[in-house]
Amino acid sequence: MPQIELAGKIYEVDEDGFLQELDKWNEEFAQAYAKTEDIEGPLTEEHWKIINYLRDYFKQFGIAPMVRKVCKDNGVDMKKLYELFPTGPAKGGCKLAGLSKPTGCV
Amino acid sequence: MKTLLKPSDIADKSDRLCHVAPGELTPLPYPYEDFNQTVLTPLKPEKIGNIEASLDDTVAIGIPKPANQEEEEALVRQFLSGLKKLFEKENNWTFLQPLLLSMEHCAKCHTCSDACPVFEMSGRKEIYRPIFRSEVLRRVYRKYLKPGGKITAKLTGDIDLNWKTIARLAELSYRCTLCRRCAMVCPIGVDNGLINHEIRKLFSQEMGIAPKEIHDKGSVQHLKVGSSTGMNPMAAKDSAEFIQEEMEEITGYKVDIPWDVEGADILLIHNAGEMLAWPENVGAFAIIFQAAGISWTMSSEAAGYDAVNYGLWYDDVQFARVAVKHADIARRLKVKKIVIGECGHAHKALTVIADRLLTDDLNIPRESAMVTLENIVMNGKLKFDPLKNNFPVTLHDPCNVVRAMGIVEPQRRILRKIAPRFREMTPHGVENYCCGGGSGFAIMSGYNFAEWRNLVSSRKKFLQILNAFEDEPQAVPKYVCAPCSNCKGAIRDIINYYHAEERSHLYYGGLVELIVNAFEGMKKPIISFGEKPSWE
Repeated sequence: MPQIELAGKIYEVDEDGFLQELDKWNEEFAQAYAKTEDIEGPLTEEHWKIINYLRDYFKQFGIAPMVRKVCKDNGVDMKKLYELFPTGPAKGGCKLAGLSKPTGCV
Repeated sequence: MKTLLKPSDIADKSDRLCHVAPGELTPLPYPYEDFNQTVLTPLKPEKIGNIEASLDDTVAIGIPKPANQEEEEALVRQFLSGLKKLFEKENNWTFLQPLLLSMEHCAKCHTCSDACPVFEMSGRKEIYRPIFRSEVLRRVYRKYLKPGGKITAKLTGDIDLNWKTIARLAELSYRCTLCRRCAMVCPIGVDNGLINHEIRKLFSQEMGIAPKEIHDKGSVQHLKVGSSTGMNPMAAKDSAEFIQEEMEEITGYKVDIPWDVEGADILLIHNAGEMLAWPENVGAFAIIFQAAGISWTMSSEAAGYDAVNYGLWYDDVQFARVAVKHADIARRLKVKKIVIGECGHAHKALTVIADRLLTDDLNIPRESAMVTLENIVMNGKLKFDPLKNNFPVTLHDPCNVVRAMGIVEPQRRILRKIAPRFREMTPHGVENYCCGGGSGFAIMSGYNFAEWRNLVSSRKKFLQILNAFEDEPQAVPKYVCAPCSNCKGAIRDIINYYHAEERSHLYYGGLVELIVNAFEGMKKPIISFGEKPSWE
C-alpha cells in the first residue's frame, strides 16, 4: 500500500492518493494535502464549509454526495466549486475530506 | 524487445513483453493530430516495485509479486488446479461446452484479429490478438492436462509454464473488453471472448486474483452494502429524492419516484451509478413512466436498486449471488416483470446469462428498457415535438444489448421518431465497436490504466464518433446517445481526454433524456450543452 507523508505524519493512501484509513483524518491532513491539489495558501472558510459538508454526508450515507447536491446544499455553483478545488470536487474535494475514491459505474 | 512475439514468449524473462512507441497507435484526424505521438505515461518504478507489471505499458490488476520460489511454485500448482476445473462438468457446467468447442477448433485464420479494435488500434501488437491469450491457454491445457501432452507439445506448440506466464496471462485477460466482435466474425464459431472470460474466472475463483474495482469495491461491496457505488438503501433514497427536486427545477415537471410498491407491473432497476453520475437519466425514466401512466416501482432493498452484476465479467459465483438476489427481490415484490435500465452488462446478466439459474418462481419475466420505451413512445399516448431535438445525434450500440442480445431496432425506431438529425455510425448494430470501457474497463483506473483505455481500447470508438459527425460544422453541438452507464463513462472519458467538447462540441447522454427532451408541452429542456439549453 502506498504511503504519503504530510505534516510529519505517515498516512496510507491508494495509488491515486485517497486516504485509506478514514479514521486518521484530521485538519492538518487536509491543510497539508491542499498544495498537491493545486490549492495555494491556507484553506479558507469556504473550503472548510465544503470539506465538512462532504464529511458529514459521508458519515451519514457512506458515500460522497452528487456534485450537484454539493452545489445546491452549499449555495455555490459548479464554477465556484472548481475555483475552490481546481482538481475537481470529486477528486480534490473528497481527497482533502479524507473520503475514499468513488466506486461503481460512476 | 522482439517485434513478432509468439505465444511461447509469454514465459520470457524480460521486464516487459510489449511496448507501444510514439506514432504506433492508429493516427487521429484533425483537430486531434497533436495526440498522434502520445503514448502512455510510464509506470513509476516505485509504484510497481512490488507488483507484476511485465506485460506491457500498463497494469490492470496489480498482482503482488510472490516472495520466493516456493510461493511461485505454489501459485503455478494453484493455476493448474483451476485450469483442470474449467474442463470439468461439475465445476464448470455453465460454460464447459462452448469452452471445449472453442479450445478444439480454432483454425488460426486470424479473421478475428482484424475485427478486434484493441489489436487494430494498438498498431497490431501481437499480444493483443484475440487468439494470443487463447493460444497460451490452449498450449498449457494440452501440455499439462492432456495425457502425453508433454510429448505432443513439441509438435503442436510448446509453452513453458512458470509464474511469469501466469502473471502475464492474468494481466492479458484484462486487455480485452469482452466485446465479442471476434466471436461474431469467426467462420467456425470459436469464441475467443469466452475463452478470455474463462481465464478471468480461473484467476478469480481459484486464486482470488481480480481487479479491485470489480471485485472488492464491486461485487463484494454490492452484496455487502447494496450497491457497487457504496450507496446503502438510505443513500439511494436520498439520491432519488434529490433527483426529483432537480427534475422539477430543470424541466418544470413534477415527478415522483415510487419505492417498494407491491404488485406493480414493472420493477425498474437502474445501474446505481446513474443516480450519482447521471441523475437526469433516472429522472427522465421517471418522467416517461409517470407521463405514460405506467404502474412501476423501484426497490429500496439492498442490491434491488443496483442492476449491475460485475460477476458477469470475471466470476460465476459472484454472478449467481447477485442474479438470484435481483430475481428474489422481484418475486417478493410480486411485480409482473423486471425492466432493466440503460445498463448493457446488466441486460445480458439478468436476461440471458441468468436464464439457467432462475427457475420456478424466480423466473420472473425480464425486459430490456429499449423494448419498454419503444412501446411507450410508439403507442401514441405521449405527444412529441421532434424539432426540439434539432441537433445531430448518433447512436452507440452497447455490445451486450446489441451484439450479445440482438436488440437492435427498438432504440432506432425511437430515435427516428424523436431525433430528426439522427445518423448511424459506421459500422453499427451487431457490427458496432465497443466503447472501450466494456467488461469493467470504464471503472478501472488504477496506475495508468484509464490512459490505456483512452489511448487504445476506446480509440476506435472515438474515430467512429468523429466520423459520424464529419459533415457537421465544428460549432454545432453534437449528441452521442449511449444507452449504457459503462459506455457513457467511457465516452465521457474520451471527450475529456481529447478535449472533444472544446474542439468538436461533442456531448453525450442516454436515450431517455432525448425522449423527454422532445416531450410536447414541456416547459424547459432536460438536455443542455454545457451551460446552453438545447432549446429555448
